[in-house]
Amino acid sequence: MELEPKDDFERELQQAFARRPAPPSLKRRLMERRRTEKQRLAQAQRPFLTWQRLAASLLLTAVLAGSVEWRIVEQRRREEAARDQVLTALRITTHALDRMNTRLAAHRRAPQD
Amino acid sequence: MAHDWHPDFEQLVDTHQSMVFSLALRMTADRGLAEEIAQDVFMELDRNLARIESPAHACFWLRRVAMSRSADALRRRKVRGIDLWVDLDDIHAASAEDRASPLSARLEQLLATLPEPQRAALVLRYQEDLTPEEIASTLKAPLATVKSHLQRGLKLLRAKAQNHLKEYVRGA
Repeated sequence: MELEPKDDFERELQQAFARRPAPPSLKRRLMERRRTEKQRLAQAQRPFLTWQRLAASLLLTAVLAGSVEWRIVEQRRREEAARDQVLTALRITTHALDRMNTRLAAHRRAPQD
Repeated sequence: MAHDWHPDFEQLVDTHQSMVFSLALRMTADRGLAEEIAQDVFMELDRNLARIESPAHACFWLRRVAMSRSADALRRRKVRGIDLWVDLDDIHAASAEDRASPLSARLEQLLATLPEPQRAALVLRYQEDLTPEEIASTLKAPLATVKSHLQRGLKLLRAKAQNHLKEYVRGA
């Protein structure tokens, strides 16, 4: 099918079918509708956002509480380890003193013999 | 897909509102409905703005969606049992200043009597000056079908014009 060149009738059609100007109110109504739709969308999302914020707050609180708890437990563990070390040192010292006392006692007894 | 062009919605409305409104008006022959369709098309554009890659893509997208929404509106009307083409003078209530000439108005009335696929092809051909290939792409139809619609539509419109518009049309 050959569409070019256009004949008189087709040229008449082209002139007759030129674009019509849109009604002046079209853009205004469209922008109003767009604004309304965006507001509606924002309102619809608000409860969801509130729940999201609440969930995020709870999560953050749980993480912070867990962190504090972990620090306390870790501190206790260190304290207990330190205490164990001191007790071990005391045991060693006591054992050394006992040996020393035993030797001294043996030494004192020796000249009398 | 990454693209550098950042579309401005308001500017796109300014540029294309006449095209979208005219397509809808010629497809539905109903001013109120055409305005409603044009609003729907631009609202859909707003929702899909991020996907628009260039000014040419915006124009193509708007044409395609305007034609598709107009066809949907016509189908809805048919389902509701309203015959759009019975009282064209009443329904096609454009104000006098909108009409370029009595011949334009009569040709638009005759166009409104054509079957929808032929009307769509002719509107895109003579309002938008698209080639058959571009029309096929816009309507997502096979090229052979579009050419057939153009040929039959033009023939039918020519015959109707010969009967009704002898006083106006030179080449009919």
